[in-house]
Amino acid sequence: MLVLSRKLNQAIMIGDNVRIIVVSVDRDQVKLGIDAPREIPVHRSEVYEEIQRVNRAAAGQPPAPPPESPEGAPAAPRQVNPAALVARRTPKKKD
Amino acid sequence: MEQPVEHVQATSTVAFPNFGECTFAESEVLTFPWGLPGFAELRRFLVLAIPEQAGYVWLQSLDEVNVALPLCDPWSLFDDYEAPLPYYAKQSLNLANADDFCLLCVCVVGKGAAEMTINLLAPVVINLKTRVGRQVALENQRYSVRTPIPRKPVGSVATGEVLAT
Repeated sequence: MLVLSRKLNQAIMIGDNVRIIVVSVDRDQVKLGIDAPREIPVHRSEVYEEIQRVNRAAAGQPPAPPPESPEGAPAAPRQVNPAALVARRTPKKKD
Repeated sequence: MEQPVEHVQATSTVAFPNFGECTFAESEVLTFPWGLPGFAELRRFLVLAIPEQAGYVWLQSLDEVNVALPLCDPWSLFDDYEAPLPYYAKQSLNLANADDFCLLCVCVVGKGAAEMTINLLAPVVINLKTRVGRQVALENQRYSVRTPIPRKPVGSVATGEVLAT
């Protein structure tokens, strides 16, 4: 890992269009300003790591066996169909 | 010998460990060019529906058949869910026509299915025209990646009833 020392108001360029500047330093907290093109997602690492953990947990669970399967028995092979995805981005209107 | 080339759809059949055999057309495959957090190397997915799990679909990887994530429609559980997409998501998924995408959330079933959670913070957004998808962290930080799902709908799902009619 590349390690660079920076003082207050000094910056680092990553590539041609990402600039990270030290905005303030207060005891154990550093505030960084990030100038990046809007198409580059910027997140705190913890958020990304949390999403990774949840995805791995979600992928680690087998689907529930069909209701008619006896408990403990392996789920019978099922014929599944690729679902028709429906455009949906807003709450369903209530009747 | 001439073969008609119009309307010819390449189909594939894959046996998934959790779901059995599935035949699908290439046009049904979803591409996740950025992978998924935790599965950055996986690019090709199918959405599978199981008849007895009406409230859910499975995002099944075609690159690694053991990886499948349950997804559910957040609005079937949370009426007031709001998901303003950040610019990078709209731009990278080409969502100029805002009606062409669907949004689903990753669910985690706790042990015994008593504690189910849904990731409302980072929905999976799929452009239905290009069939390109991406998991997007909302800039709205109010939501948790492990939002508990209210118990009642979970019960209906487990018994195979339709979640929202």
